[in-house]
Amino acid sequence: MADRIGKINRYKDIIFYRTVAGIKSEARQNYLGYLWFMLEPLLSTAVFYFALTQVTGRGGPDYVAFLLLGTLSWQWFEGSVTAAASSIREKYATLIQFDLPKFIFPMVTVLVNSWKFFVTYAVLLALMPLLGLAPNWRYLELVPVLLIQLGFILGLAFPLALWVTLSNDLKVIMSSSFRLMFFLSGIIFNSEKVPESLRTAFYANPMAVLVESCRDIVLRNQTPNLHRLAYAAGVALLLLVVGLLQLRLMDKRLLKMIHV
Amino acid sequence: MSDPVPLISLHDLGLCYHPRRTLFSKIDKTFWALRGLNLTIYEGEKLGIIGRNGCGKSTLMRVLAGIYAPDEGRIVFHRPDCHVELLSIGVGFEGNLSGAENAVLNGMLMGKSRRHMRARLATIKDFSGLGDFFDWPVSTYSSGMMTRLGFSTAMEVDPDVLLIDEVLGVGDAEFLAKSEAAVQAKFQSDRTVVLISHDPGIITAICNRAVWLDRGKILATGTAQEVSEYYRSKQNLGVA
Repeated sequence: MADRIGKINRYKDIIFYRTVAGIKSEARQNYLGYLWFMLEPLLSTAVFYFALTQVTGRGGPDYVAFLLLGTLSWQWFEGSVTAAASSIREKYATLIQFDLPKFIFPMVTVLVNSWKFFVTYAVLLALMPLLGLAPNWRYLELVPVLLIQLGFILGLAFPLALWVTLSNDLKVIMSSSFRLMFFLSGIIFNSEKVPESLRTAFYANPMAVLVESCRDIVLRNQTPNLHRLAYAAGVALLLLVVGLLQLRLMDKRLLKMIHV
Repeated sequence: MSDPVPLISLHDLGLCYHPRRTLFSKIDKTFWALRGLNLTIYEGEKLGIIGRNGCGKSTLMRVLAGIYAPDEGRIVFHRPDCHVELLSIGVGFEGNLSGAENAVLNGMLMGKSRRHMRARLATIKDFSGLGDFFDWPVSTYSSGMMTRLGFSTAMEVDPDVLLIDEVLGVGDAEFLAKSEAAVQAKFQSDRTVVLISHDPGIITAICNRAVWLDRGKILATGTAQEVSEYYRSKQNLGVA
């Protein structure tokens, strides 16, 4: 038992050190590192804003804030899962040398990305008054919503890291799936536009629920739909458990399978 | 040593690789890197494993280190908390962390707690001879400095069983003497050491028992002297 606790403590320390290293490396390697991370959602927001208001004539008040909240959450999700998916393969040289559980590297990748996201998100929230939205105490409700999203990201990152290690082809399928999911998550349109008959299917996607919850809190100053959030949390938890079990099952065999 | 106490035993152990199939290669082959292996490693012994390239030495090391699980047979650790570690030099360094931070991180990768490593930082710094560079990011190091840091860290990890794959001494002339002496000291202590090499000379010089591994099977076991001589004679005849 004491041995187990010691091990968990050690893994925690390794993850912590590696995450700090990752964050430092982003900041040093790339002088504009953080700025880029903030600029990217701004740029894509600008593109969507132009396309959707000028070309299709949609829009409305708060449309910029609406798009920013969506694209930022999405970027956190897609960026983290994509990077984490190849993390085991990339760290092969280290993993083949030490007896380490394989979840460590996907987890570190997600945490480094999440740190960047949280910094950017805090800046975005601080800028909300410029977009005409008064800050309010309800922002605190973002904490559980973002934690559920973190769980969902990790829940996808673990099994995908395993499968991408086994078959690199999966990456191509993954990026197409992300594109599809992007349009099904309501990043650029309001969920009210979804026909009543399709609502259940729409909200089966945890990302749709999470993005809408953030908008409820920041834009509409209202508590998000707790039933849907509970469902999203359930999906995240299930994925996490299944992903970790899979990694554990393959722990001593995975590297051998890509060795030759 | 009076009565040898077994520490790790392998029973009929086998490990196979399946070469990945692609669209154009239809061969479905299984390659047994190790098969039917029976071996006991005793506490405090210095075991040499000798064999040519591709005989399964590295695979055996990974099985002992717990990186691979066997496909056949069993591996038994007679002490539950037995800590086996492969000697690795500078693997897993993070360029953006300082030498000191990397020493701690590397030690943790090798199974030690943060506290254990922090307590030994002064020794590591001293042994490595890196001086002020110890607090600089590792990305500013030359490859020689990296080796010094990696080796000094590895020497402070102190596993129950140390697995060494060919490397004995590293670095420039000055550090080579120092690092060789440090490894020799590990061999003279009562630590269990497993050394793999294709050089019978080294095996005879520092091991007390040896195993000849060929194509995943043990061809001979005995004292380092006997096995090395046998290995040499067969090599000359071109049998193996």
